[in-house]
Amino acid sequence: MPVTVQLPKEKWTGTVREVTLGAAAAEGGTRKKIVTVGGESTLPFLTFEGEIPNRPMVALEVQDRYPDDWSDLLKDVWGDTMQDAAAWAQKAEEYGADLIVLKLQSAHPEGDNTDAAQAAETTKAVLAATGLPLIVYGPGQAEKDNEVLVASAEAAEGERIALGNCEDKNYRTIVAAAMAHGHLVVAKTPIDVNLAKQLNILISDMRLDLDRILMDPTTGSLGYGLEYTYSVMERLRIAALTGDSMTQQPMICTVGEEAWRAKESKVNEGVPEAWGDWDQRSINWEVLTATTLIEAGADIVVLRHPESVKLVTKAISDLMAA
Amino acid sequence: MLIIGENIHIISPTVKTAVKDRDAKTIQKMARLQVEHGADMLDLNIGPQKRRGVEVMDWIVDAVQEVTDVPLSLDTTNVAAIETGLKKVKRQAMINSTSADPDRLNTGMPLAAEYNAKIIALTMGKSGIPTSAEGRVEMAMEVLIPKAMELGIPMADLYLDPLVLTVNGTQEHGPETLNAVRFFKQLTDPPPMTVVGLSNVSNSVPHENRSLINRTYLVMLLAAGLDSAIADPLDEKLHEFIRIVEERDTSTGLGNLLVTFYDKTAAMEELEPSDVDMSDPEQVGVWKTAQILYNKVIYAHAYLRM
Repeated sequence: MPVTVQLPKEKWTGTVREVTLGAAAAEGGTRKKIVTVGGESTLPFLTFEGEIPNRPMVALEVQDRYPDDWSDLLKDVWGDTMQDAAAWAQKAEEYGADLIVLKLQSAHPEGDNTDAAQAAETTKAVLAATGLPLIVYGPGQAEKDNEVLVASAEAAEGERIALGNCEDKNYRTIVAAAMAHGHLVVAKTPIDVNLAKQLNILISDMRLDLDRILMDPTTGSLGYGLEYTYSVMERLRIAALTGDSMTQQPMICTVGEEAWRAKESKVNEGVPEAWGDWDQRSINWEVLTATTLIEAGADIVVLRHPESVKLVTKAISDLMAA
Repeated sequence: MLIIGENIHIISPTVKTAVKDRDAKTIQKMARLQVEHGADMLDLNIGPQKRRGVEVMDWIVDAVQEVTDVPLSLDTTNVAAIETGLKKVKRQAMINSTSADPDRLNTGMPLAAEYNAKIIALTMGKSGIPTSAEGRVEMAMEVLIPKAMELGIPMADLYLDPLVLTVNGTQEHGPETLNAVRFFKQLTDPPPMTVVGLSNVSNSVPHENRSLINRTYLVMLLAAGLDSAIADPLDEKLHEFIRIVEERDTSTGLGNLLVTFYDKTAAMEELEPSDVDMSDPEQVGVWKTAQILYNKVIYAHAYLRM
């Protein structure tokens, strides 16, 4: 006798906010491509019980100084392009990135300690070199981040870029800069659902619209805490879908930075032979971290290797089509 | 509902200094104050005190018994110190605590039998605290209760403690701990007793939110069958919540809500918006806190404002 199986469907009550990066000429910007993320009313790729209006996006990271500390594999693949942020960004666009992440690493006080004027100039040069939307990070040192991100925000007036990172103790200046110049912010918290929600509340208390906030839950790469990030993201996404308004932000994961820090991808000396081919292993490390977090609800993954972009983009297309 | 006063705790700088200086007056003042505010028993937490445990316990039990005759809970992992305290106490004392870790179980539990003391048994093993209610119950059923029975400790003296953890970071434990209390009371006939370290539920929460979280959780725990709590007797609002549910005082809107909350929790149901007068800020506070404790809404320091 034939048996009818009723497909179990969850009735979600909440929706992730849609967040748009980049502004075209009509909106006062110069972007050729506009990227919208979020909007999900279901768990990743479960379109039989909700909508996924926007696919996850892939960003490539560029820096404004030659990244001496990066893996030789990355140096080989990018070559001299990495000497110039604008040329690097242009190349990243050619490699199929949806977004450019610019890290103003040269501003680090213990490095070149470049100033606000330099940050503004680099931001303009990168915006001129690519038509993609931009996310800008400071060097990761609170005072200096404030200085260069304010300059970047001003230089990118009208372009609807995202400024990162806003953290618990250091978000006011960056949020104010985003409000003054019509940009977005990235709110970063250390693998903690409670703090993630609290920071969204604090930022929205400053009256920045919630459709201008991306959440960064802090990425642990494959083998180095990936499962913690995974479960925190899953928890935040379920909260968003069950109607918790202060968790309904799209999520961004800095996959490349973490995956290329792992010994398995960074070096090939003194590692067991059983680990196999270095090139393949490193790219797998980045791709697996990215695709795993996309399964946990990542809306933007930031990568470093062009081959990873190709593979992750393919995985996303397949998952969206399935 | 037995309240075990928690304020004489070595983590408090006042207590730490008083213990170090053997300043009996300060300890005695704290003891009296807690008893005046309704503590039925006093917890004496002297920390691990690896070297001076015996000496400190000997001193502090005398100091406290000089000013009050409520029973004492001897709170240290130093077994020799506990035995010293047990020899001195005038009334049946409580050992705080043992666990399912064989090292602690085999030293702590026999002392309770030998000195006819009550004992707190944590549902925690060498590998930590189980996440689920079932894991905690299994530990109670397979390790703690059989050991107590083997030693002839009556169930009325065995206080199972499911270990309350903070909503800020370990929120998923909230409903599990609650259900563990519920299941503990069904394990034997007569049932074992139950206890929690109540204030742990609001650890690392801003001070202004702590009491509300503590007392809201206590209403739920009482409904699940909790017999006693290590808590702050100076928290008047905590007493008020206990009084309302114990007397079933529905003369106010808040009272009505708390009694409903209690009854629903006892029936394994949850509060609904229609139970709450949303124009009354106190009721809304309880409602929002319940959502946090049910693990339905993610805790954030600003949760009451949302």
